[in-house]
Amino acid sequence: MLSALGLSSTEELFADVPKKARLGRLGIGPGHEEFEVVETIDRILERNRTLTHFACFLGGRVTPRYVPAAVDAILSRSEFYTAYTPYESETSQGILRSLFEFQSLWVEMTGLDVANASLYDGATAAGEALLFCRRLHEGHRFLVPASLPWEEKSVLKNYATGPNLLVEEIPYDPRTGCLDLEFVRREVATGNVFGVLADVPNGFGHVDEGVLDLKSTIGDVPFVVSADPLSLSTLAPPGSYGADVVVGEGQGFGAAPSFGGPLLGLFACRREHMRAAPGRIVGATLDAVGQRAYTLTLTTREQHIRRSRATSNICTNEGLMALAFVVYASVVGPRGLAQLQTALAEKAHALASALGGIDGLRAPRFESPFLGEFTVEITKGTARGFLDHLEQHRILGGHPLADPRPSAGSQPERVLVAATDWIGAPEIQKYAHAARSAFGPSGGAP
Amino acid sequence: MTYRQARWEEPDIWDLAPLRTGDAPGTISGVPERFRRKEFVRWPELSEQEVMRHYTRLSQMNFGVDSGSYPLGSCTMKYNPKVSELLARRKHAVELHPYQPESTVQGALELIWRLEQVLTKVTGMPEVSLQPAAGAHGEYASLLMVRAYFRDRGEDGKRTEVLLPDTAHGTNPASAAMAGYTTREIPSKEGCVNLAALKEAASEKTACFMLTNPNTAGLFESEILEIAKSVHDVGGMLYYDGANLNAILGITNPGRMGFDVAHLNLHKTFATPHGGGGPGAGVLAAGATLAPYLPVPRIVKQGRKFHLEYDRPKSIGKIKTAYGNFGLDLRAYAFALTHGEEGLKHVARRSVLNSNYVASRLGKFLPRPFRPLVKHEFVLAGTPLKERGLRTLDLAKRLLDEGVHAPTIYFPSLVDEALMVELPETESKRELDHYIAAFERAINDSTENLHAAPHFTSVRRVDEVRAAREPTLSWKDLRAGAKAETP
Repeated sequence: MLSALGLSSTEELFADVPKKARLGRLGIGPGHEEFEVVETIDRILERNRTLTHFACFLGGRVTPRYVPAAVDAILSRSEFYTAYTPYESETSQGILRSLFEFQSLWVEMTGLDVANASLYDGATAAGEALLFCRRLHEGHRFLVPASLPWEEKSVLKNYATGPNLLVEEIPYDPRTGCLDLEFVRREVATGNVFGVLADVPNGFGHVDEGVLDLKSTIGDVPFVVSADPLSLSTLAPPGSYGADVVVGEGQGFGAAPSFGGPLLGLFACRREHMRAAPGRIVGATLDAVGQRAYTLTLTTREQHIRRSRATSNICTNEGLMALAFVVYASVVGPRGLAQLQTALAEKAHALASALGGIDGLRAPRFESPFLGEFTVEITKGTARGFLDHLEQHRILGGHPLADPRPSAGSQPERVLVAATDWIGAPEIQKYAHAARSAFGPSGGAP
Repeated sequence: MTYRQARWEEPDIWDLAPLRTGDAPGTISGVPERFRRKEFVRWPELSEQEVMRHYTRLSQMNFGVDSGSYPLGSCTMKYNPKVSELLARRKHAVELHPYQPESTVQGALELIWRLEQVLTKVTGMPEVSLQPAAGAHGEYASLLMVRAYFRDRGEDGKRTEVLLPDTAHGTNPASAAMAGYTTREIPSKEGCVNLAALKEAASEKTACFMLTNPNTAGLFESEILEIAKSVHDVGGMLYYDGANLNAILGITNPGRMGFDVAHLNLHKTFATPHGGGGPGAGVLAAGATLAPYLPVPRIVKQGRKFHLEYDRPKSIGKIKTAYGNFGLDLRAYAFALTHGEEGLKHVARRSVLNSNYVASRLGKFLPRPFRPLVKHEFVLAGTPLKERGLRTLDLAKRLLDEGVHAPTIYFPSLVDEALMVELPETESKRELDHYIAAFERAINDSTENLHAAPHFTSVRRVDEVRAAREPTLSWKDLRAGAKAETP
């Protein structure tokens, strides 16, 4: 090819790079054979201990959940995973139809009208929802539960920074963990609130009945629900109680935790607001001979057309995870999803009962309904010390809810505990036993 | 003409089985009745085999890099090595929760740390974070860092402008606007930044100049050192959009060129698959000035242990849950290990050679608006097609009939009827010659055939105007439409 170009060396191809900008050696070492790469990476990975090495009670937005083998069999179809964003519809009907089905499913689950084809994760979806609300309503204050996970609050603040908006916290009832609706009413009445977000279940794992009355409290201020998709298999669709936007973290449907990524951001809104929505959207249409076909649509909202006036900067999203989501739900089925949620809730309730009488902790910390997760408060010692003690008993007992940044200051010693597929009665007993020993004479969470 | 894409008459998934209605989920202890779902989620109950066949058929109506050449400019659609897929599915990689105790995820932290070390060398910047999920996410985080920096200096109210060339990727102005900046486009001169125009626009209002190099016209900005100086002279920051890094791997890097902050796309340069839209993985690389503002946690090595460090008082905080797209980081590290120093340099040389070879051949069919020496991609002007009553779109659709993907079209916008072609290093000369021959057949085909293309894909030319005018965006909309049509 060089001779075809009339060149004698590839060096001539870089004649336009100024000498002063040229590099010598990078210093990253030589390349390796495939077997060596496998060996090296396996050796590094073996320094991890996997979730199944432990009795695992970790949850939160990232959920360890069994993924049926069929899901990965589909994701491994290289026609799907080696494709780019489907700009050329005619040759990309497979991914377009899959995404259309994904959008349809999220619409059914949320009771809203229009879903996009995914965002990065639940936290950034909440961030996009914040900006979306601001397009619908005047104001500069966005209200979120004080119980929201700290990471999500931090992400939200970063989405609010650009347009100089404020993220403010709604206090909760210290007994139930539920939102202070009076506070919301008061703040909305003072004006300047352009959106209110509530999560279902909330950051403590609880189902706050007050959320059902939020829309009537805030009137025409846009209402965002951040929902765990599995919970929607048994709980009322947020559209039925006035949500204008429903976001969520979709990783639990078909994707392994994978150390926290890739995840899946879910987003749905009402039809009248679809042109303010962020992200890719797939629509059904016809082809030149009148048969149904699919394409990316409403693209005039997007960065590659609208540039600085786009509704979002998002380009690459989490398309393959959206495919995983719809394949997972289709394999498990609507009844299977509800059964799974019910089973996890039963396990979580059994664990809460088993921990109930232990001196040194309060479980559950809050008096309100919960599904598969709840909050434990450590009253003797620290959350970290408690969890370290459990780890010695091969139990991953949950995760501390506190913001770990030194600037966050002192916070309650709380742990979010989750029931997972792999937990049964023996693991629950083991947890209770180990928890008791943490505060016993030989234990003692530091 | 031998290419045929599968054309299944596959029903929608909800039509694969009759819908079971009328029953409802049971109650969960303590959950108030009015919070209960009154009907199961409306979705079919299917066997695993039904689901497998449905999505297998859909996959056969999709085109990926494994199906054929995929020359989407600025997307770097290179081959995705299968060993990366194997490793990313290891039990010790997927069965890891981000909130496990540090002592139990030392391997994951080490892997991220090692990849960060490679990327500091590739970018020439002292610190790297893998938290962004994608390139645009990295752009946005970079601009938040720039804002935080100017806020600390008491200049946030004053530095209100982001400058960018008119060839910039659409994400650049969109990210700048999201970060609260007004954007100002600098007109290009012969496809490159007009240095005089940049100097005139740069002022004490400039927060940042965003640039990709090589740029989207496929040209290396040879005046990059002068560009950097003119931005720094007014106290502004220089941001590197790494979408086009493939062309300069190991040849030069953003640090050496004078950039203060950069994003890279692991799903382009480091061969992680794009998944039909994502997931990607973004890299944030920062010079010494902006490094303290990187998102937390930072992954640090203390002795032989790896640690998640949150004590970074100037950090912008979190831009995403957890630590980034670990599954993609792992694939990218496998790519880096496989290639090593010489391999990465070869990537740049070969992708630039491929690009120049194909450009010289396709230049016989359509005009090339800029200078001949290009980097990883090049631009053609489809203007002559207009004389036949055709558009670039028609040619792109006709190319699909050849069993290859179309180039990026109508971008960059300063070129009329633009086609932007990128054939990365993994394409062999045989594949390049095949692409050139396909292009020749396509452009020489009858006007009628070009208008009617594509013929051999799973559907014919898709009516995008109709899609936008009558948005049908879900099964719910299809049901509403069907109801409306029933007399």
